[in-house]
Amino acid sequence: MSAVDTPAAAEPRTRRIIPLLVFALAVALLVATPFLPNYHIRVINGLLIYILLGIGLNIVIGYAGLLDLGFVAFYAVGAYTYALLASPQFDLHLPFLLILLIAAFLGMLTGILLGIPVLKLRGDYLAIVTLGFGEIIRIVMNNVDWLTGGPQGIARLDKASVFGIEFARPVEIYFLLLVIVFTVAVLVWRMERSILGKAWAAIREDQDAARGIGINTTNAKLAAFATSASIGSIAGVIFAASQRFVSPESFTLQESVLIVLMIVVGGIGNILGIVAGATILILLPEVLREFAEWRILFLGLLMIVLIIIRPAGIVPRSFGPDKLIRGLFGK
Amino acid sequence: MTLIFQNIRKQYGSNVAIDDVSTEFVPGLIHGIIGPNGAGKSTLINMTAGSYAVSSGAIVLDGRQMQSLKKYEIANSGIARTYQNIRLFDQMTALENLEVCYYPTEVGATWREVLWPPFGRSQRERRREACMEILRFFNLQGYASAEAGSLPYGRQRMLEIARALVMNPRVLLLDEPAAGLNHHETAELTAKLAELRSPDRIMIIVEHDMDLVMTLCDRIVVMHHGKLLFQGTPAEVQANPDVQLAYLGTANDIDEIRAAAQDRRAKLGIRARQRS
Repeated sequence: MSAVDTPAAAEPRTRRIIPLLVFALAVALLVATPFLPNYHIRVINGLLIYILLGIGLNIVIGYAGLLDLGFVAFYAVGAYTYALLASPQFDLHLPFLLILLIAAFLGMLTGILLGIPVLKLRGDYLAIVTLGFGEIIRIVMNNVDWLTGGPQGIARLDKASVFGIEFARPVEIYFLLLVIVFTVAVLVWRMERSILGKAWAAIREDQDAARGIGINTTNAKLAAFATSASIGSIAGVIFAASQRFVSPESFTLQESVLIVLMIVVGGIGNILGIVAGATILILLPEVLREFAEWRILFLGLLMIVLIIIRPAGIVPRSFGPDKLIRGLFGK
Repeated sequence: MTLIFQNIRKQYGSNVAIDDVSTEFVPGLIHGIIGPNGAGKSTLINMTAGSYAVSSGAIVLDGRQMQSLKKYEIANSGIARTYQNIRLFDQMTALENLEVCYYPTEVGATWREVLWPPFGRSQRERRREACMEILRFFNLQGYASAEAGSLPYGRQRMLEIARALVMNPRVLLLDEPAAGLNHHETAELTAKLAELRSPDRIMIIVEHDMDLVMTLCDRIVVMHHGKLLFQGTPAEVQANPDVQLAYLGTANDIDEIRAAAQDRRAKLGIRARQRS
């Protein structure tokens, strides 16, 4: 063996070192989080919720290629499901896990209800209709006072508890989120590689040719909407349980746009990309807090630069979790 | 098993694209559809595959009316096609382009595939193996993990035919498979298509390359201005004065085409099975 690395041999090594470094950094952050002050843990919890939302929305946008700008509606459905079933509002106090299931189901149902009328739409048209849908849900929450408490929202939600273990302090919520985000990420990744995931990709590439090989595009698209919505709804439940307060203010169009941005900046269609995109878009504003009003400008500039130098996202579609695992543990 | 066109008609407003065409396609043979540009050849293919609606008349496969079915249902009843302008799933790998064809038969097992890793693994491996075999048949195994859109044009044509074959269709519709191919690639295509002839399969080829059509096809339908002008064996088509006038050109050309076709047939060892 030669002691000197040839350029050809050196290149794959750097390609392995960068993911290795980033991965090590991420693990270090995850391990250190419980020892940070509460404020910081809350920020990380927020980040994890956004990762969950990103993974959900990515099914529709990244896998099936359908631009959905109203994703926050499903987030709201989940949050209000928890708020209504575990608060003094109607004096209902259902267990957390049961609500999680109900919310996932309700999210799925709303996903399909939204999906049916927009099945024939694509691109800009789909974006506008879904945007309207997101706003409708928020405005309904804002106005049906007897149910949702209107703009005041619903307060004093129950603490989440699973099998007698309470999840209320930020660090407890952090562990709960870690488990849920990891589980959802693994399942969604397996879904991406399943035959349904391949059908989504085919629909994204050429819907008509997908029909030509026997794919019932209606069902496949509804499956995408339903799965994505139920993940959004699950994120909403955890959000409500961690804030122990919900109001329509948390579910504005801006949130939907932020989630889409995470996906586009991070790497459309790639779970690793979403983690990267969310990390930049959620943590950076916190880091830049002392620059006050300059930070939005800063963030905007960064995004423009990223889109120009990495149009396929920070982690492109081709570098999926399987590549990361192979990179970390060898062949 | 036969595929029958019963008085089919296609109209766009007052413009009649297909006018009362009736014919029959049988398994084991390679059927050619030829005709000048705008004669309605591709329209026939598009209606059979469900891409265009039929204005009137019926398309019957095995006694079952196809024209009112949705496009994916037509595909699932065993009609596969390729497109005049290649339509692959460009950002998916060549292998994935074939694997995705298992959707209709395997989507029901999606939850098991997602939730139960050993099942998922065996499912994926079985799919991959079956699809690799088809890729090898078309000499595409080297491109298995390359994005379909990045393949050379000729390989893309082959890959599209491979994709149509994954579900082992009863009817294979090829819309100008040789368009844009060079001589070498056309010869390779001709040989592969000859191998695909099977007693369980109806093959229909729309093609402008007369060499290929005369070499490969057992029966030829000649379209002209949306009407069926003539049908018969390659020899009959070549000898028909109407066809010569409408399409093939001067008598000189026909002799050349006939000679070239004979020549290639001899080289490839193909015997055109001409039913009496």
